[in-house]
Amino acid sequence: MDRKEFLKYGAMGVFGMTMLPANLFAQQTKTANKSLFPAALPFSTKGEWKEFEISIGITEQTLAPAMKIHTLAFNDMVPGPEIRVKQGDKVRVIFKNNTDLNHTIHWHGIYVPWRMDGVPYVTQMPVMPGQEFVYEFTAEPYGTHFYHCHWGTLLHMQSGMFGSVIIESDDDPIKKAFPYEREYTLIYSAHDVNYIRNELNSMLERMKERSFLMKNGRFSAERFNLFNTKEELLESINNGYQPPYLTNQRTSAELPIPNWFTVNGKSYPSTPYLFIKTGENIRIRLINAGTENHHLHLHGHDFWMVCDDGVPLPQPWQRNTVSLSPGKTYDIIVEGNNRGIWTFHDHDTRRVTNNGLYPGGNLLALVYEDLPKKERMVGGMSNMKMQGEMNLLPKIALDE
Amino acid sequence: MRKINLILILLASVVFAQAQVLPEIELGAKGVMSGNFENNNTIASSAVSDFSDSQLLLGFRQKLYNNWRSQMVFGMQFPDADSDLGQVFYNHVFLKLENQKNIFKIGRSTTQTILNEFPTLRDDDALLFNYALNPFADGTNTQDNQYGNVIEYTHVHNQRYWLTFHGENFTNLSEPNNFDLNAYGGSFLYSVPESQRWDRAIIQRLGVSYNNYVDEQTNTTGSDDLLSNILGTVTLNLRPDPVHFIDLKIQGIYNQGSNTVDRMSTYSEYVRMPSISTFGTIRYIYRKLERPFLQTSLGFGYKTFVNLNESEQLIGIANVFYRIGDNFDMGFQYRYLSNRGQTELLFGQTEHKIQLALIYSVSQLFNNQFDTRNSILNLEHKYLE
Repeated sequence: MDRKEFLKYGAMGVFGMTMLPANLFAQQTKTANKSLFPAALPFSTKGEWKEFEISIGITEQTLAPAMKIHTLAFNDMVPGPEIRVKQGDKVRVIFKNNTDLNHTIHWHGIYVPWRMDGVPYVTQMPVMPGQEFVYEFTAEPYGTHFYHCHWGTLLHMQSGMFGSVIIESDDDPIKKAFPYEREYTLIYSAHDVNYIRNELNSMLERMKERSFLMKNGRFSAERFNLFNTKEELLESINNGYQPPYLTNQRTSAELPIPNWFTVNGKSYPSTPYLFIKTGENIRIRLINAGTENHHLHLHGHDFWMVCDDGVPLPQPWQRNTVSLSPGKTYDIIVEGNNRGIWTFHDHDTRRVTNNGLYPGGNLLALVYEDLPKKERMVGGMSNMKMQGEMNLLPKIALDE
Repeated sequence: MRKINLILILLASVVFAQAQVLPEIELGAKGVMSGNFENNNTIASSAVSDFSDSQLLLGFRQKLYNNWRSQMVFGMQFPDADSDLGQVFYNHVFLKLENQKNIFKIGRSTTQTILNEFPTLRDDDALLFNYALNPFADGTNTQDNQYGNVIEYTHVHNQRYWLTFHGENFTNLSEPNNFDLNAYGGSFLYSVPESQRWDRAIIQRLGVSYNNYVDEQTNTTGSDDLLSNILGTVTLNLRPDPVHFIDLKIQGIYNQGSNTVDRMSTYSEYVRMPSISTFGTIRYIYRKLERPFLQTSLGFGYKTFVNLNESEQLIGIANVFYRIGDNFDMGFQYRYLSNRGQTELLFGQTEHKIQLALIYSVSQLFNNQFDTRNSILNLEHKYLE
């Protein structure tokens, strides 16, 4: 690379992060954009049951260009596939564990029978390496929900084990009030990628040993840190056993602190676009599968908050910012009434960073498809001679 | 004006990079404190507190462009009390560049004079048997054999096969200010990564190496002579079990030596005398609650000299280490050394050495930001650069 090229690429590194792709409005971009939303998982019909198959494995995930991490992925994707059913459907999910770790699936917000709730050692045994577990429930209640692993939850969720469950109604009250054709699911998460890497390595090493011992019938309560009763635990402690919270003490600097923030498993500039047309309503299903609060703010619009945890609100709220706390889901309706390209992002701007660098994180854009060509240019960039043709391209309004 | 603008942008880029790319910092420390009792023939001696082999390591690592990684390591060690290295010896000062398949290293570091790691209290406890000895030293400092100014290239294939070519400048007491290469060689090693070690039957490590010291002392014609050593090693998992683990380690060294040496009245002649030495240990580790709890090992070594009859050396080492807390061990070691023939003049007839020790060893990463070559994720779930 000669000096001229170095300068060119160096400058692109600084300025390129604020750019939308040149072909934002091309069909190709729109088609590719669809893959950034969770795809509905196909099912087979077995009698009265809609039967889904989900497996968990370890794969690599590209959070942003050139930023790859190892993740736990349902059906090789983060987030996992969307389970979309009708209210009252009989749902059967065959879950296969293809990792060396233990897992379960918890159906967050769904009225499952308690034995199907996915809490290890409370409602079921963990699904161990190579094992299968069948979850069965009736799809209730209506609305936007999600599923996630409930084993090693802090690690497994931020490693990618989450996905949306959409329970539709033939008599959808939201669609009646705000007729719409297009809807988008946005699943928010936060990741300490160093914690994920170190803990996954550590757990995989431990689980190799435990699996080996289990296969050989050498279970030990203290080695596995599993006790039948509190009395058993206390007796072991009296006999010299030290619980893991004593032997694995960390300093505060080593505790997980998220440094990557994703929407549908991607960080800006790989986050999805929300396409809309003038006069159109779109429904956005917001799910927080992470550990952080996200104060989501849409530029240039108010939106209608119509569902809270899947429950339709008797009186939709008109607002421009919504605080999506961990475990919450909100449905919002955006009315296409202010043509342009608008950012939709966390107003806790620590979460619109990639590893502390702004812009990044869960920054994404609401894009009007019918924006005239002449309005797609950004002016006032004439002083950037080095960028040449780049000053003709649209920019995200980064105005914080 | 355009030139000034370009320079400003370059400077801005440099500032930008410096502000964001912090290195990963590794702090390693080992403290070995032992009380020694030694009996060499009829002379008994003791040391209340022997802290030799204690060391401090500081490493800085970061990613380079194109996903290579760089590392700078700075380390200091406290040598034996009777060494002439001073209070502190800087055993590591090197830079390393690596990617998944290639490693370049340059600077002061460990040399390729040993192919295995043996479970002894200190690394040099069986030095005469398990190191290809530096012929330019006088035997006073064990560090002269273990460390040198090195330049190395290693190609790693399939994360298990290590092919290394290396050159060294070993300490040369007759020419202390000569920093030319005075040794070179190559090695090939098959090694199961640490994270998978306990469950691999049966070969854990297998390797050979060929090392050459470029010797000017033994040749009267003025041209350099080569003192060559061939090393071979194997580690076998006798019981690959996560709780009760047993392994066997053996290493052999054939020192081709110099044909001009026909007796061993000095250390210089000792290391130039053609010899065959072997050293091996059998080790048992009890890992209670997924952490090492107890380790005990027995080691034996034998050295014979090809051109001399009735000259030989024997060593036996027995030790036990008991973990009393994370990173903290108590240890006991007994070493027996027997010298026969001409080696008796150099090292005495027999030696009994008893050591009671406390050992603290820790390695802590700060600002951790990327994975290691041998992690389970990188080994079993696609290597990420």
